[in-house]
Amino acid sequence: MSKRKAAPMMEFRTVKRIDNSRLARHMEPAKQKNLFKTAGLGGVVALFFLFYIFQHFKCIDLSFQLEDLKTRRAQVAQLNSELKLEIANLRDPMRIDVIARRQLGLTEPLPTQMREYEAAAGEQVAVARFVRRGQQR
Amino acid sequence: MQEEKVHVRLLIVAGVALLWMTAVFGRLGYLQLIRHSDYLARAQRQQQRTIEITPKRGAIYDRNMHPLAMSVPVESAFAVPAEIGDNKILASRLLSNVLGIPRAVLETRFESSGSFVWVSRKLPPDKAEAVRALNLKGVYLQSENQRYYPKRELAAHVLGFVDLDEKGLGGIEYGLDSLIRGKSEKIVVMADARQRWFDGGSAQKDQGANVILTIDEKIQYIAERELAAAIAKTHAMAGTVIVQNPNTGAILALANWPKFNPNSANEAKAEARMDRAVSAIYEPGSTFKLITLAAALDQNLARPDEWFNCENGAVYIAGHRIRDHKPFGMLTVSDILAQSSDVGAIKIALRMGAPKFYEYIRAFGFGQQTGVDLPGESKGILRKLDNWSAISIGSVSMGQEVGVTPMQLVTAVSAIANGGTLYKPHVVAEVKRGSESLPMTGALAPGEPKEVIRPETAATLRRLMEGVLLHGTGPRARLDGWTAAGKTGSAQKIDPATGRYSRTQLIASFSGFAPINDPAVTILVSLDSPVGEHEGGQVAAPVFKRIAEQVLPYLDVPRDVPLSPKLIQAAYHRNEMEDDSSLSDFAPVDFSAQPDQAPAAQNSEKKAETPKPTVTVALDEGGDIAVPDFQGKTMRDVTEMCLRLGLEPVLVGSGLAVDVAPASGAKVRRGAKITVRFGEPEAVMKAARNAKPGGKTRNR
Repeated sequence: MSKRKAAPMMEFRTVKRIDNSRLARHMEPAKQKNLFKTAGLGGVVALFFLFYIFQHFKCIDLSFQLEDLKTRRAQVAQLNSELKLEIANLRDPMRIDVIARRQLGLTEPLPTQMREYEAAAGEQVAVARFVRRGQQR
Repeated sequence: MQEEKVHVRLLIVAGVALLWMTAVFGRLGYLQLIRHSDYLARAQRQQQRTIEITPKRGAIYDRNMHPLAMSVPVESAFAVPAEIGDNKILASRLLSNVLGIPRAVLETRFESSGSFVWVSRKLPPDKAEAVRALNLKGVYLQSENQRYYPKRELAAHVLGFVDLDEKGLGGIEYGLDSLIRGKSEKIVVMADARQRWFDGGSAQKDQGANVILTIDEKIQYIAERELAAAIAKTHAMAGTVIVQNPNTGAILALANWPKFNPNSANEAKAEARMDRAVSAIYEPGSTFKLITLAAALDQNLARPDEWFNCENGAVYIAGHRIRDHKPFGMLTVSDILAQSSDVGAIKIALRMGAPKFYEYIRAFGFGQQTGVDLPGESKGILRKLDNWSAISIGSVSMGQEVGVTPMQLVTAVSAIANGGTLYKPHVVAEVKRGSESLPMTGALAPGEPKEVIRPETAATLRRLMEGVLLHGTGPRARLDGWTAAGKTGSAQKIDPATGRYSRTQLIASFSGFAPINDPAVTILVSLDSPVGEHEGGQVAAPVFKRIAEQVLPYLDVPRDVPLSPKLIQAAYHRNEMEDDSSLSDFAPVDFSAQPDQAPAAQNSEKKAETPKPTVTVALDEGGDIAVPDFQGKTMRDVTEMCLRLGLEPVLVGSGLAVDVAPASGAKVRRGAKITVRFGEPEAVMKAARNAKPGGKTRNR
């Protein structure tokens, strides 16, 4: 019985320890500048797009607000119109006449009971003097 | 081998990517190029809505900017039946409960169209809120404008009215519809996915214009109230009152009876909506004698003191006998007007001749439209001179065979009042859009004033017209505190049954102005077929008096005659007065003829029955200037005296002072105009004789 020979070692591993801590990476200034430029430009474009999107949505949001305000303005204008109408109704000469005669018991003054008052320029004409005939009865 | 495999895989991936890209771009191309219009339309339907904005109709104001007509936003409900879908019956039932519209009516409406139907228009706020609360799919609310006339019947015939779509159908609303209405505008609004609307477009560019009238609501009310009281008292069929400023032609009030409420014009009869002031034609009767006399005096064919034989009540023209209303003998021209003698007027007209007379009638504006800015104006009836018969000159001279409108007559009387200038009557003072005044063109263009008679003729005629009130047919028109002039008229109407003049139906009228010297208002009162007392001097003259005595102090017109002692006594001792029959004209107007629409007043009606203390407002007196006696004075003396007293003299004629208006002794304000008439010394002597006790004196 022949003794089998051991196979020769074909591969071996060596550890090569390299210390490159003292090496400094060389950066080309032009390349770096370009990089910053591109990044900056990209940032500006991104910002522009972000701003554009922000503006677009803000615009829509403001449009809603504007519509709300318009609605409120229309409501206030409507109220204003209704109040003006109410004032006009209350100032109806017939209504005032009926109240004056029926509720307050006022009568038309005789021509003699009204005298023209010639006020000096800039002066206010004095208020009428009231004579309550009913109290004398 | 390995490399080949990798290459094949890459090709597959690239092919798939290419196919995917081709598919995407193909789809994109299909959507953007082939289906572009379809999808655009669909997107617009979903995201956009075109709304037609109807501009708010402009307001109408009186001359003091008090609103007489205005529009207020209200909401109307409409439906899109296609959106309601299968819930039409449920929607009809719910809406019927809220709006009070029969369910069947709503169902029919929903079936009639798929895109748009009105549910109910111009809803009151509470009903609009109720519809909103229902939150029905396919039922929406839209804002519209509702026209309101806050003073109800006041100046209704001037304002007119509108239909449901706010289209003017009468009066100023119709005449100036294109200006008041403005122009409709369409705007596009966008919606998001939740159907919230935004980006609603710009504001209105062409709003309705506001109209400012010459009408004064207080004077209008006075005119309407007095007309209503007169109608209630006389039971007349209809009536008209016009108050005009004679110095500009501006109409201060225009009242008609029957009247209507423009807020519910569709409920009123067509007869009530008719503006009689501009469209009713009637024979003016005796008031037309003013034109006869104006023409004769202007041509110096007659003098005020000239005598005419009035033939004891009848005159023959071309074989026709024309009878006077009363037999008169010899009358002066002044008395012919004062007593309203038909025979006298005919004789004056005959002296003048038809051609000249016709010329003056046309010059005063009869037989043609006055050009007033109100729709539906009639031009009256005046036959061409060629068509006049032999009797026409007699008929026309006393106001028959001629048809006039109240507007024509008041304008002619104003021409006499202002010194002979005919102004175009108008009710529109200004038209404004925002704060900008619009040019007055077309019907609004101011007419060119024209002199129809000389100022001297007008002054003479004014004096003669004063005589009508002082000693003629119109004493009931005399004013307390102011001079006034006018002419009564009682024209017989033609009976449609017989085609002849009716003996019972008359048009009673009075046209006059005050004060004589510097007229502030011309007033025409016309009553159609009064029952009982029916003559102009009996029924129309008191209405003139009542209106003038309220309007003149309101316009701050100074008094030019002293008040009658009876009135002064009445003012301070009214309680003690036993006989106050002479003061009947000052009794408060009976409001039975007026519908009381004030709720507060209705509630307190019971309270009003109990006697109330009478409150009287007394104003302090101001210092007045007494008009001196100028009789027999020269022009120079008169001018000096007037200037010394601070009065403005108006001198008419030549020679020595014969007459003065206001009368000597009357209290006037500083700066008042005093008209002094000059004449021959004989006239001065005559005037002095008349001024003596027992002579013809002026009681005012």
